[in-house]
Amino acid sequence: MFKKFDESENVGNVNIAKSSVQKGIRSQILDQFSHIDDYLDQILPKKEPLKIVKCHEHIELLCNQTGEILFFRQRDGPLFPSLKLLHKFPFILPHMQVDKGAIRFVLSGANIMCPGLTSPGAQMTKVDKDQIVAIMAEGKQHALAVGFTKMSTEEILSKNKGVGVDNIHFLNDGLWGMKQIK
Amino acid sequence: MAAAAEPKPFLEPAVPQPGVKYPLKVPYCGECGVPIEYCENYPNYEKCKAWLEKNLPDEFEKLKVDKASTEEEGAADSKDREEGEEKKKRQTRGGKAMIKTKKKIEPQGIKLWTQTRGKKKKVTIVVGLASYEIDLKEASKFFAGKFSCGSSIAGEDEIVIQGDVKDDLFDILPEKWKIIEEDDIDDCGEKK
Repeated sequence: MFKKFDESENVGNVNIAKSSVQKGIRSQILDQFSHIDDYLDQILPKKEPLKIVKCHEHIELLCNQTGEILFFRQRDGPLFPSLKLLHKFPFILPHMQVDKGAIRFVLSGANIMCPGLTSPGAQMTKVDKDQIVAIMAEGKQHALAVGFTKMSTEEILSKNKGVGVDNIHFLNDGLWGMKQIK
Repeated sequence: MAAAAEPKPFLEPAVPQPGVKYPLKVPYCGECGVPIEYCENYPNYEKCKAWLEKNLPDEFEKLKVDKASTEEEGAADSKDREEGEEKKKRQTRGGKAMIKTKKKIEPQGIKLWTQTRGKKKKVTIVVGLASYEIDLKEASKFFAGKFSCGSSIAGEDEIVIQGDVKDDLFDILPEKWKIIEEDDIDDCGEKK
Protein backbone atom coordinates (compact mmCIF):
# COMPACT_ATOMS: atom_id res chain seq x y z
CA MET A 1 0.00 0.00 0.00
CA PHE A 2 2.86 2.35 0.81
CA LYS A 3 5.40 1.25 -1.75
CA LYS A 4 5.01 4.39 -3.81
CA PHE A 5 3.91 6.63 -1.02
CA ASP A 6 5.57 10.01 -0.83
CA GLU A 7 5.26 12.44 2.01
CA SER A 8 5.26 15.54 -0.15
CA GLU A 9 2.76 14.21 -2.68
CA ASN A 10 0.28 11.91 -1.04
CA VAL A 11 -0.36 13.61 2.26
CA GLY A 12 -3.29 15.94 2.72
CA ASN A 13 -4.30 17.90 5.74
CA VAL A 14 -3.98 17.18 9.44
CA ASN A 15 -6.97 17.34 11.77
CA ILE A 16 -7.45 16.80 15.43
CA ALA A 17 -10.09 14.17 16.01
CA LYS A 18 -13.31 15.01 17.77
CA SER A 19 -13.66 13.23 21.07
CA SER A 20 -16.52 11.16 19.69
CA VAL A 21 -14.34 10.02 16.78
CA GLN A 22 -11.53 9.25 19.16
CA LYS A 23 -13.85 7.18 21.28
CA GLY A 24 -14.91 5.27 18.21
CA ILE A 25 -11.30 4.58 17.31
CA ARG A 26 -10.49 3.36 20.79
CA SER A 27 -13.37 0.96 20.74
CA GLN A 28 -12.40 -0.23 17.27
CA ILE A 29 -8.88 -0.94 18.47
CA LEU A 30 -10.24 -2.89 21.40
CA ASP A 31 -12.56 -4.76 19.07
CA GLN A 32 -9.73 -5.75 16.80
CA PHE A 33 -7.02 -6.35 19.39
CA SER A 34 -8.90 -7.19 22.56
CA HIS A 35 -5.80 -8.56 24.31
CA ILE A 36 -4.01 -5.20 24.47
CA ASP A 37 -6.57 -3.76 26.84
CA ASP A 38 -4.01 -3.16 29.59
CA TYR A 39 -1.64 -1.31 27.31
CA LEU A 40 -4.12 0.81 25.39
CA ASP A 41 -3.67 3.78 27.68
CA GLN A 42 0.05 3.68 27.02
CA ILE A 43 -0.45 3.56 23.29
CA LEU A 44 -3.30 6.04 23.10
CA PRO A 45 -3.51 8.14 26.27
CA LYS A 46 -7.12 9.02 26.95
CA LYS A 47 -6.61 12.70 27.58
CA GLU A 48 -4.36 13.46 24.64
CA PRO A 49 -5.85 14.65 21.40
CA LEU A 50 -5.42 12.37 18.42
CA LYS A 51 -4.30 13.65 15.05
CA ILE A 52 -5.84 12.31 11.89
CA VAL A 53 -3.89 12.77 8.69
CA LYS A 54 -5.84 12.38 5.48
CA CYS A 55 -3.83 10.99 2.59
CA HIS A 56 -4.54 10.02 -0.98
CA GLU A 57 -6.39 6.84 -1.81
CA HIS A 58 -8.59 7.30 1.25
CA ILE A 59 -5.81 6.41 3.62
CA GLU A 60 -5.99 7.86 7.10
CA LEU A 61 -3.10 7.93 9.53
CA LEU A 62 -3.69 8.23 13.25
CA CYS A 63 -0.94 10.00 15.15
CA ASN A 64 -0.40 10.83 18.78
CA GLN A 65 0.40 14.25 20.13
CA THR A 66 4.14 14.07 19.42
CA GLY A 67 3.41 13.23 15.80
CA GLU A 68 4.32 9.56 15.73
CA ILE A 69 2.18 7.48 13.46
CA LEU A 70 0.35 4.82 15.46
CA PHE A 71 -2.28 3.30 13.22
CA PHE A 72 -3.48 3.62 9.66
CA ARG A 73 -6.47 2.49 7.69
CA GLN A 74 -7.93 2.67 4.25
CA ARG A 75 -11.52 3.84 3.91
CA ASP A 76 -13.43 2.24 6.76
CA GLY A 77 -11.24 -0.84 6.80
CA PRO A 78 -9.51 -2.36 9.79
CA LEU A 79 -6.85 -0.43 11.67
CA PHE A 80 -3.30 -1.53 11.02
CA PRO A 81 -0.62 -0.66 13.58
CA SER A 82 2.44 1.02 12.13
CA LEU A 83 5.74 -0.85 12.29
CA LYS A 84 7.23 1.60 14.74
CA LEU A 85 4.36 0.95 17.13
CA LEU A 86 4.63 -2.77 16.49
CA HIS A 87 8.31 -2.69 17.42
CA LYS A 88 7.40 -1.14 20.73
CA PHE A 89 4.52 -3.49 21.44
CA PRO A 90 5.23 -6.66 19.46
CA PHE A 91 2.29 -8.54 20.94
CA ILE A 92 -0.36 -6.48 19.18
CA LEU A 93 -0.45 -8.82 16.22
CA PRO A 94 -0.02 -12.58 15.81
CA HIS A 95 3.41 -13.36 14.40
CA MET A 96 4.14 -15.06 11.10
CA GLN A 97 7.78 -15.92 10.66
CA VAL A 98 9.24 -16.19 7.17
CA ASP A 99 12.48 -17.99 6.30
CA LYS A 100 15.76 -16.22 5.64
CA GLY A 101 15.51 -16.31 1.88
CA ALA A 102 12.31 -14.32 1.87
CA ILE A 103 13.61 -11.34 3.84
CA ARG A 104 15.09 -9.42 0.93
CA PHE A 105 11.96 -9.76 -1.13
CA VAL A 106 9.67 -8.72 1.67
CA LEU A 107 11.89 -5.70 2.29
CA SER A 108 11.40 -4.59 -1.28
CA GLY A 109 7.66 -4.86 -0.91
CA ALA A 110 6.79 -8.33 -2.22
CA ASN A 111 3.78 -10.16 -0.89
CA ILE A 112 4.55 -13.20 1.21
CA MET A 113 4.27 -16.41 -0.76
CA CYS A 114 3.15 -19.62 0.88
CA PRO A 115 6.46 -21.52 0.54
CA GLY A 116 8.18 -18.77 2.52
CA LEU A 117 5.82 -19.55 5.38
CA THR A 118 5.96 -23.34 5.27
CA SER A 119 9.68 -24.01 4.85
CA PRO A 120 11.81 -25.25 7.78
CA GLY A 121 12.95 -21.79 8.82
CA ALA A 122 9.44 -20.42 8.98
CA GLN A 123 6.76 -20.60 11.61
CA MET A 124 3.14 -19.56 11.67
CA THR A 125 0.53 -18.61 14.19
CA LYS A 126 -2.82 -20.20 13.56
CA VAL A 127 -4.98 -17.51 12.00
CA ASP A 128 -7.98 -17.21 9.71
CA LYS A 129 -8.28 -15.52 6.37
CA ASP A 130 -8.33 -11.69 6.28
CA GLN A 131 -6.44 -11.14 9.50
CA ILE A 132 -3.74 -8.61 10.22
CA VAL A 133 -0.43 -10.24 11.08
CA ALA A 134 3.12 -9.18 11.89
CA ILE A 135 5.75 -10.58 9.54
CA MET A 136 8.80 -11.67 11.50
CA ALA A 137 11.94 -13.24 10.06
CA GLU A 138 14.07 -16.24 10.84
CA GLY A 139 16.92 -15.22 13.14
CA LYS A 140 15.63 -11.68 13.67
CA GLN A 141 13.89 -10.20 16.66
CA HIS A 142 11.82 -7.46 15.18
CA ALA A 143 8.98 -7.33 12.71
CA LEU A 144 9.83 -6.37 9.16
CA ALA A 145 6.35 -5.97 7.73
CA VAL A 146 2.66 -5.78 8.51
CA GLY A 147 0.54 -8.11 6.43
CA PHE A 148 -3.03 -9.12 5.72
CA THR A 149 -3.64 -12.84 5.32
CA LYS A 150 -5.18 -13.97 2.05
CA MET A 151 -5.61 -17.57 3.20
CA SER A 152 -6.07 -19.26 6.52
CA THR A 153 -3.10 -21.06 8.00
CA GLU A 154 -4.49 -24.46 7.01
CA GLU A 155 -4.97 -23.33 3.46
CA ILE A 156 -1.39 -22.03 3.29
CA LEU A 157 -0.15 -25.42 4.47
CA SER A 158 -2.29 -27.43 2.08
CA LYS A 159 -1.99 -25.27 -1.04
CA ASN A 160 1.58 -24.10 -0.52
CA LYS A 161 1.42 -21.94 -3.61
CA GLY A 162 0.79 -18.31 -4.43
CA VAL A 163 0.32 -15.32 -2.17
CA GLY A 164 -0.36 -16.23 1.45
CA VAL A 165 -0.10 -12.83 3.08
CA ASP A 166 -0.43 -9.44 1.44
CA ASN A 167 2.35 -7.02 2.28
CA ILE A 168 0.71 -3.84 3.53
CA HIS A 169 3.52 -1.92 5.18
CA PHE A 170 7.22 -2.85 5.32
CA LEU A 171 10.50 -1.44 6.55
CA ASN A 172 11.71 1.62 4.65
CA ASP A 173 8.57 2.08 2.60
CA GLY A 174 6.88 5.44 2.17
CA LEU A 175 5.08 5.31 5.49
CA TRP A 176 8.16 4.22 7.41
CA GLY A 177 10.13 7.11 5.96
CA MET A 178 7.63 9.74 7.07
CA LYS A 179 8.77 12.36 9.48
CA GLN A 180 6.83 13.28 12.55
CA ILE A 181 3.52 14.89 11.80
CA LYS A 182 3.18 18.43 12.97
CA MET B 1 8.53 -41.59 9.26
CA ALA B 2 5.86 -40.55 11.65
CA ALA B 3 8.10 -37.87 13.07
CA ALA B 4 8.86 -36.48 9.63
CA ALA B 5 5.22 -36.27 8.68
CA GLU B 6 4.27 -34.51 11.85
CA PRO B 7 3.42 -30.89 11.15
CA LYS B 8 5.45 -28.16 12.70
CA PRO B 9 3.97 -26.70 15.87
CA PHE B 10 2.21 -23.39 15.45
CA LEU B 11 3.42 -20.33 17.24
CA GLU B 12 1.30 -19.29 20.14
CA PRO B 13 -0.59 -16.05 19.62
CA ALA B 14 1.72 -13.32 20.79
CA VAL B 15 1.20 -12.09 24.33
CA PRO B 16 3.11 -9.62 26.47
CA GLN B 17 6.15 -11.39 27.87
CA PRO B 18 6.26 -11.46 31.65
CA GLY B 19 9.14 -9.46 33.05
CA VAL B 20 9.51 -7.34 29.92
CA LYS B 21 8.70 -3.70 30.21
CA TYR B 22 6.77 -2.20 27.35
CA PRO B 23 7.19 -0.15 25.23
CA LEU B 24 10.36 -1.81 23.99
CA LYS B 25 13.12 0.44 22.77
CA VAL B 26 14.32 -0.66 19.38
CA PRO B 27 17.55 0.94 18.18
CA TYR B 28 17.33 2.15 14.59
CA CYS B 29 20.29 2.58 12.29
CA GLY B 30 21.19 6.18 11.59
CA GLU B 31 22.18 5.44 8.02
CA CYS B 32 19.23 3.49 6.68
CA GLY B 33 16.71 3.92 9.48
CA VAL B 34 15.75 0.28 10.01
CA PRO B 35 16.31 -1.86 13.11
CA ILE B 36 20.02 -2.61 13.08
CA GLU B 37 19.56 -6.31 12.48
CA TYR B 38 18.12 -5.55 9.04
CA CYS B 39 20.97 -3.27 7.90
CA GLU B 40 22.65 -6.13 6.10
CA ASN B 41 19.78 -6.24 3.66
CA TYR B 42 20.43 -2.73 2.44
CA PRO B 43 23.00 -1.60 -0.09
CA ASN B 44 25.04 0.65 2.20
CA TYR B 45 25.88 -2.00 4.78
CA GLU B 46 29.47 -0.78 5.14
CA LYS B 47 28.29 2.71 6.00
CA CYS B 48 25.79 1.30 8.46
CA LYS B 49 28.54 -0.65 10.17
CA ALA B 50 30.66 2.44 10.47
CA TRP B 51 27.74 4.30 11.96
CA LEU B 52 27.07 1.48 14.38
CA GLU B 53 30.66 1.37 15.52
CA LYS B 54 30.57 5.05 16.21
CA ASN B 55 27.19 5.38 17.87
CA LEU B 56 26.34 2.03 19.42
CA PRO B 57 29.65 0.27 20.11
CA ASP B 58 27.94 -2.36 22.30
CA GLU B 59 25.68 -3.49 19.50
CA PHE B 60 28.59 -3.48 17.11
CA GLU B 61 30.55 -5.83 19.37
CA LYS B 62 27.59 -8.16 19.52
CA LEU B 63 27.43 -8.20 15.77
CA LYS B 64 31.10 -9.11 15.56
CA VAL B 65 30.66 -11.98 18.01
CA ASP B 66 27.79 -13.33 15.95
CA LYS B 67 29.89 -13.13 12.80
CA ALA B 68 32.82 -14.92 14.42
CA SER B 69 30.68 -17.81 15.57
CA THR B 70 29.26 -18.30 12.12
CA GLU B 71 32.65 -18.10 10.50
CA GLU B 72 33.87 -20.98 12.60
CA GLU B 73 31.65 -23.17 10.55
CA GLY B 74 34.04 -22.35 7.74
CA ALA B 75 33.45 -24.22 4.55
CA ALA B 76 29.71 -24.29 4.75
CA ASP B 77 29.67 -20.56 5.23
CA SER B 78 31.75 -19.72 2.18
CA LYS B 79 29.54 -21.95 0.12
CA ASP B 80 26.60 -20.03 1.39
CA ARG B 81 28.21 -16.79 0.40
CA GLU B 82 28.83 -17.96 -3.13
CA GLU B 83 25.25 -18.94 -3.38
CA GLY B 84 24.24 -15.54 -2.13
CA GLU B 85 26.29 -13.80 -4.78
CA GLU B 86 24.79 -15.92 -7.46
CA LYS B 87 21.35 -15.09 -6.22
CA LYS B 88 22.14 -11.40 -6.33
CA LYS B 89 23.27 -11.68 -9.93
CA ARG B 90 20.11 -13.39 -10.92
CA GLN B 91 18.06 -10.77 -9.23
CA THR B 92 19.42 -7.91 -11.32
CA ARG B 93 17.26 -9.15 -14.14
CA GLY B 94 13.70 -7.91 -14.10
CA GLY B 95 13.45 -4.84 -11.96
CA LYS B 96 15.00 -3.72 -8.76
CA ALA B 97 15.25 -6.08 -5.86
CA MET B 98 17.23 -3.80 -3.63
CA ILE B 99 15.77 -0.58 -2.46
CA LYS B 100 17.93 2.44 -2.79
CA THR B 101 17.98 4.46 0.35
CA LYS B 102 17.09 8.06 -0.16
CA LYS B 103 19.96 10.41 -0.63
CA LYS B 104 20.26 13.02 2.02
CA ILE B 105 20.46 16.53 0.68
CA GLU B 106 23.61 18.27 1.80
CA PRO B 107 23.14 21.78 3.16
CA GLN B 108 23.97 24.08 0.31
CA GLY B 109 24.15 27.43 2.03
CA ILE B 110 21.52 30.09 2.17
CA LYS B 111 21.05 32.73 -0.46
CA LEU B 112 19.40 36.08 0.05
CA TRP B 113 18.04 38.44 -2.54
CA THR B 114 16.04 41.61 -2.48
CA GLN B 115 13.52 42.49 -5.10
CA THR B 116 11.75 45.76 -5.75
CA ARG B 117 8.00 45.77 -5.67
CA GLY B 118 6.28 48.85 -6.98
CA LYS B 119 9.01 51.48 -7.18
CA LYS B 120 9.88 52.02 -3.54
CA LYS B 121 9.05 48.83 -1.67
CA LYS B 122 11.28 45.80 -1.29
CA VAL B 123 10.90 42.14 -0.50
CA THR B 124 13.57 39.71 0.71
CA ILE B 125 13.86 36.28 -0.86
CA VAL B 126 15.45 33.48 1.21
CA VAL B 127 16.48 30.31 -0.57
CA GLY B 128 18.09 27.20 0.90
CA LEU B 129 16.48 26.77 4.30
CA ALA B 130 14.94 23.42 3.40
CA SER B 131 18.35 21.90 2.73
CA TYR B 132 19.07 22.33 6.45
CA GLU B 133 15.93 20.34 7.19
CA ILE B 134 14.15 23.38 8.49
CA ASP B 135 10.40 23.38 8.16
CA LEU B 136 9.57 26.19 5.79
CA LYS B 137 6.16 26.84 7.26
CA GLU B 138 7.61 27.24 10.70
CA ALA B 139 10.39 29.48 9.44
CA SER B 140 8.02 31.68 7.53
CA LYS B 141 5.83 32.14 10.59
CA PHE B 142 8.89 32.98 12.63
CA PHE B 143 9.99 35.68 10.19
CA ALA B 144 6.53 37.16 10.03
CA GLY B 145 6.46 37.44 13.81
CA LYS B 146 9.99 38.68 14.16
CA PHE B 147 9.83 41.44 11.57
CA SER B 148 6.08 42.06 11.96
CA CYS B 149 5.52 41.78 8.26
CA GLY B 150 4.08 39.40 5.71
CA SER B 151 6.01 36.27 4.90
CA SER B 152 5.09 33.49 2.52
CA ILE B 153 6.43 30.30 1.03
CA ALA B 154 6.93 31.04 -2.63
CA GLY B 155 8.37 27.79 -3.94
CA GLU B 156 9.81 24.45 -2.99
CA ASP B 157 12.65 26.02 -1.05
CA GLU B 158 11.91 29.72 -1.10
CA ILE B 159 10.50 32.18 1.38
CA VAL B 160 9.51 35.74 0.52
CA ILE B 161 9.57 38.23 3.35
CA GLN B 162 8.02 41.63 2.80
CA GLY B 163 10.38 44.51 3.48
CA ASP B 164 14.15 44.66 3.26
CA VAL B 165 15.34 42.57 6.20
CA LYS B 166 18.51 41.18 4.70
CA ASP B 167 20.82 42.69 7.27
CA ASP B 168 18.80 41.36 10.18
CA LEU B 169 18.73 37.89 8.69
CA PHE B 170 22.51 37.59 8.93
CA ASP B 171 22.21 37.78 12.72
CA ILE B 172 18.90 36.06 13.25
CA LEU B 173 19.35 32.93 11.15
CA PRO B 174 22.39 31.54 13.00
CA GLU B 175 20.82 32.51 16.29
CA LYS B 176 17.54 30.73 15.68
CA TRP B 177 18.95 27.62 13.97
CA LYS B 178 22.27 26.54 15.38
CA ILE B 179 23.23 24.47 12.34
CA ILE B 180 23.50 27.58 10.19
CA GLU B 181 26.82 29.39 10.31
CA GLU B 182 26.99 33.03 9.43
CA ASP B 183 29.46 32.24 6.65
CA ASP B 184 26.92 29.95 4.97
CA ILE B 185 24.67 32.89 4.27
CA ASP B 186 25.27 34.47 0.93
CA ASP B 187 24.10 37.91 -0.12
CA CYS B 188 23.28 37.78 -3.81
CA GLY B 189 22.26 41.37 -4.19
CA GLU B 190 19.21 42.39 -6.14
CA LYS B 191 17.14 40.08 -8.23
CA LYS B 192 16.18 41.23 -11.71
